[in-house]
Amino acid sequence: MDFLNGFMPTVWFVILALFLLLYVILDGFDLGVGILSLTSPGEQQRSILMASLGNVWDANETWLVLMGGALFGAFPLAYSTILQALYGPIYLMILGLILRAVAFEFRENAIHKQPWNWMFGLGSVIAAASQGICLGTVLDGIPTDPSGHFNGSPWLWINWHSLVVSLTLIQGYVLIGSTYLILKTSGALQQLHFRTAKVAAITTLAGALLITLTSPLLSQELRARIFDPAFLPAFVVLPLAGLSLVALLFRSLARQQEAWPFVYTCLLFILSFLGLGLMLFPAIIPPSISIYEAHTSISTMVFMLTFIGFLIPIMLFYNIYNYLAFQGKVLEE
Amino acid sequence: MTETLLLSRLQFALTAIFHMLWPVLSTGLAIFLVILEVLWLRTKDPLFYRQARFWAKLYVLNFGIGVASGLPMEFQFGTNWGPLSEFAGDFFGSVLGFEGAMAFMLEAGFLGIMLFGWSRVPPLLHLLATVMVAFGANLSVFWILSANSWLQTPAGGVFSHGSFQVENYFAAINNPFMVRSVLHMSLATVETSMLVVGAISCWWLLRRSTPATTATHGFFSVSLKLALVILLAVAPLQILAGHESALQVAEYQPTKLAAMESIWENQPAGTSPGWNLIAMPDPAQQRNRWQLALPHGFSWILEGKSKLSQPVRGLASWPMDQRPKLISLIFYAFRLMAGIGIAAAGLMAVTGWVWWRHGLGAEQLQRWPWLGWAWVVAAPAGYVAIEAGWIVRCVGRQPWTVYGELRTADAASPLPAQEVLTSLLSFGLLYAVLLGFALWFGARIIRRGPDLNLDPET
Repeated sequence: MDFLNGFMPTVWFVILALFLLLYVILDGFDLGVGILSLTSPGEQQRSILMASLGNVWDANETWLVLMGGALFGAFPLAYSTILQALYGPIYLMILGLILRAVAFEFRENAIHKQPWNWMFGLGSVIAAASQGICLGTVLDGIPTDPSGHFNGSPWLWINWHSLVVSLTLIQGYVLIGSTYLILKTSGALQQLHFRTAKVAAITTLAGALLITLTSPLLSQELRARIFDPAFLPAFVVLPLAGLSLVALLFRSLARQQEAWPFVYTCLLFILSFLGLGLMLFPAIIPPSISIYEAHTSISTMVFMLTFIGFLIPIMLFYNIYNYLAFQGKVLEE
Repeated sequence: MTETLLLSRLQFALTAIFHMLWPVLSTGLAIFLVILEVLWLRTKDPLFYRQARFWAKLYVLNFGIGVASGLPMEFQFGTNWGPLSEFAGDFFGSVLGFEGAMAFMLEAGFLGIMLFGWSRVPPLLHLLATVMVAFGANLSVFWILSANSWLQTPAGGVFSHGSFQVENYFAAINNPFMVRSVLHMSLATVETSMLVVGAISCWWLLRRSTPATTATHGFFSVSLKLALVILLAVAPLQILAGHESALQVAEYQPTKLAAMESIWENQPAGTSPGWNLIAMPDPAQQRNRWQLALPHGFSWILEGKSKLSQPVRGLASWPMDQRPKLISLIFYAFRLMAGIGIAAAGLMAVTGWVWWRHGLGAEQLQRWPWLGWAWVVAAPAGYVAIEAGWIVRCVGRQPWTVYGELRTADAASPLPAQEVLTSLLSFGLLYAVLLGFALWFGARIIRRGPDLNLDPET
């Protein structure tokens, strides 16, 4: 049982990170395409963008629902404390996701598509921006009393640092959305997204550098972690690997390769996630409450693991099948 | 804090009442789509293919709003009901996790293939996708109702140090209310979905017959008959399931039963009190100001006996802080739900009789237009019954969130009231607009009718 006490919270931390990573990559390109739809030159092009999401947007969003449920189940204290601290941005994110989901369905049936186009794009921007604010606020740390209950200001999330993280996440989503569209479109529309991908790659890189440089200055805990001898090698290797990936990404964009930009972008997302995970682990409510303090009973974690752990490969299998059934360029219908 | 509590409760009520409108078709109509697709694959009659494609249009319009309006339901447990999440998270949180992994993902992962995959995957695989969508949706009914039933009749563990610890998961999942609540809700989604199919069919069949409408009338008389066959089984069963649920309320939640019937005084075993058809509850005086009662009716309705075999406690015998306050709401919401359920069963009996004696189609409905219009009215009534049922279930549970263990007043997050007020008002405004447009676009799909020249793509 002692072994489980240390092991199960880590397992669930990893599973949550996996769900969040899948969400950020999958709904990331989904939201990115939504933001890019605001720049579509015409209704025909926008229809292609929407069609590229038709069969996947709902499943992509479900990874967020799954992440929420798993966080609630495995770390109820973190679910309660983090969501109370982030009331404003969580509520804005939900609003954005509702606007965009509903606009997606209404647009299909509408004769005048313009208002729904705006709502879809705007909803995507709001959702992406609020997710960035949530991420930035959690990185900076959520003040709690010793028992782990939120005792900070309701306006905690309004500061320049979470704004920077938010703007960067929007750029990241636009980047991965652009590379997804390179994969799914052809001709002039594809060329457009080669260009948006290049611009977004530059702005994402700038934002990521800014965050990497400022976060350790703002948080003592992050600073201590980065210069911890045990972690230092990882924090040297990760940025170097990231920079090489960025170089590869620019090269593949310049060579007009179709699949590689998306692959490199996904790898960049995974790398950033690894970096974030290493910075925060084992904190679940940064900076002070760890997974060992916030977890639910070990028996519940084992029970959830048998059910959900068993389902993870199955979920991945039919989600991949869904992508394969619709692989290739979007058909103009 | 009292303002925040009230606002958080109002927000949960608003978002739950709005959300509940959409899973009805997502679960009930999905079963209908499976039936249509099986009929299409077995008979190879393109009529059933066109049926499947037409009803799927309504399905998808409805589905997106259901997914989106479900998000605030999940996240509110953390944002607005943090203490509840910590108190009950050991069970309640894991159940929401299961629902996501088992039900929502299944539904979402196969929805794309079901909607857009007709020409991309083999027919049997497409059927599998439709079955998975229906299965996923109905699994989510199971998990949500299991979780809600646990709030009503907590089981499977111990309450200690201000939180719940699960000891036996299967006992917690299979808590006393679970089986009958899942059954009651599943039947409700099928019943209301079939009422919607029937209402749209009747609306078309009521239009004057011309040579141009013959094919459309043929289409909708088939869908009406299919809906009627299902409803002839489901509508009476639902009355039974509802009654069984009420018996459980009598056993486990005496305060809710007393509120449902507006009973203030204790009714000892062996007596035969009247059954209040309508009443004017007066909580201040702890009595009904007036009532119209069926003499000796209560024991017949509750137990099917001339005298009560078990005593029934009246509201006045409970301290004020241990029973619900909104007696009139619970009392009339219950009557509305039960009345609609009984009326729907009656409508099925009448329509079944007409079908048997005269046939069922445009000709019969135009000869007796009241019958068709009764169907058109029955669809919104089905939704009203579902909402009323949830009001009885959740307002009747007050003042408890976890019955007998955690008060609603202790379950809310200490948020600034302005923050909750802002989100509440914007949800209200947004939902009103969304509902309006959903009805508008739904009406457009219905008015356009099915594409009768649509041929299978393979």
